[in-house]
Amino acid sequence: MEPRIPELGRFAEPALLILVSLSDEPKHGYAIMADVEAGTGRPLGPGTLYAALARLEERGLIEALMPVERRRPYRLTAIGASVLADQLRELADFADLGLSRLGRAQP
Amino acid sequence: MIGLLLRCYPAAWRARYADEFTALLEQRPLGPFDVADVLLGAVDAHLHLRGHGAASEHRKGFAMSLRIGGYAAIAGGMLWFVSIAVGSAMSSGGGDSSIWFLAFAAASVLLLVALVGLSAFQARRNPRLVWAAFAIPAGGAIIATLGVFGMLTVGDAPFIGLASPWNVWIIGLMAMILGSSLFGIATVRTGSLSRAGAILLVLGAFAVLPALGGMTGAIANPQLGIIFTAMPFLAFAGGWIWLGASALRFGSPTTTLQGAM
Repeated sequence: MEPRIPELGRFAEPALLILVSLSDEPKHGYAIMADVEAGTGRPLGPGTLYAALARLEERGLIEALMPVERRRPYRLTAIGASVLADQLRELADFADLGLSRLGRAQP
Repeated sequence: MIGLLLRCYPAAWRARYADEFTALLEQRPLGPFDVADVLLGAVDAHLHLRGHGAASEHRKGFAMSLRIGGYAAIAGGMLWFVSIAVGSAMSSGGGDSSIWFLAFAAASVLLLVALVGLSAFQARRNPRLVWAAFAIPAGGAIIATLGVFGMLTVGDAPFIGLASPWNVWIIGLMAMILGSSLFGIATVRTGSLSRAGAILLVLGAFAVLPALGGMTGAIANPQLGIIFTAMPFLAFAGGWIWLGASALRFGSPTTTLQGAM
């Protein structure tokens, strides 16, 4: 059974942001932080980043590559891509539901 | 500052993430948010490790490697010191020390097992250093065992070329000790296991030359010779025992980090 992002508890949101960041190419920690901040406008702290990275790696959703000058890139695994796609679809459905309700409620 | 923050994390976490995490923190100035976030991350790392119940096969293998290495380091360190101390004393007193030299060979094998078992942390970070730390003592153990074999068979007669079995044994012994010091250095660099134990191992290894002087009679005063001989060898063996004990603590189910290697 594939792991689910919500099982990561309070790290579910950072984990989702990290997976999205890694969805186009492998990135090291600093690049992930910069990418998340650019995409969401909110900083991702280094402690939170590595707590989430450790959990994602344990669950096989991402994997570490060989370090380059002490900076270790991470990439999405096949399972990670599948879990991310499922999660984004669920979020999209939820967003559609919310928007449609808002549309009906508005005068 | 970064070093202090890193010290807040568990050793298992540091062994796996310290390098890249340090590189990340060095890439931009740390603000109060970052420091608070890192401190919370350290608390989380401690709690996460403690509550980590589901062991993967990889983790089991890693813990097993640490346990075997830990027990081998403790047994090897004790047997190594006792066999050298008693063997040398009996040898200088004219008694039959052959059993103690065989015990030394067994201790050498145990320390090699310890080297392999405990090098899991260092293998990825310092592959060349770790390989040297294994190859040099392994070669030394073979040479020293040959020396033991020579002492039991030809006594003081030339054994390999002009070298007596005693000389061959001493050369093997030096290789073992100096190679082990490389392992100690790798342990200090990675911050894995006990740094104090690793430093003791390295100090013991570097102090071995005057100790060998004591063993070969180069130091005129016999009492000084015994002190110069015993202290570094005791430090060396103590370093191994200390590292072994820290590996056993580390390998216990409540403290092992999955993917720590």
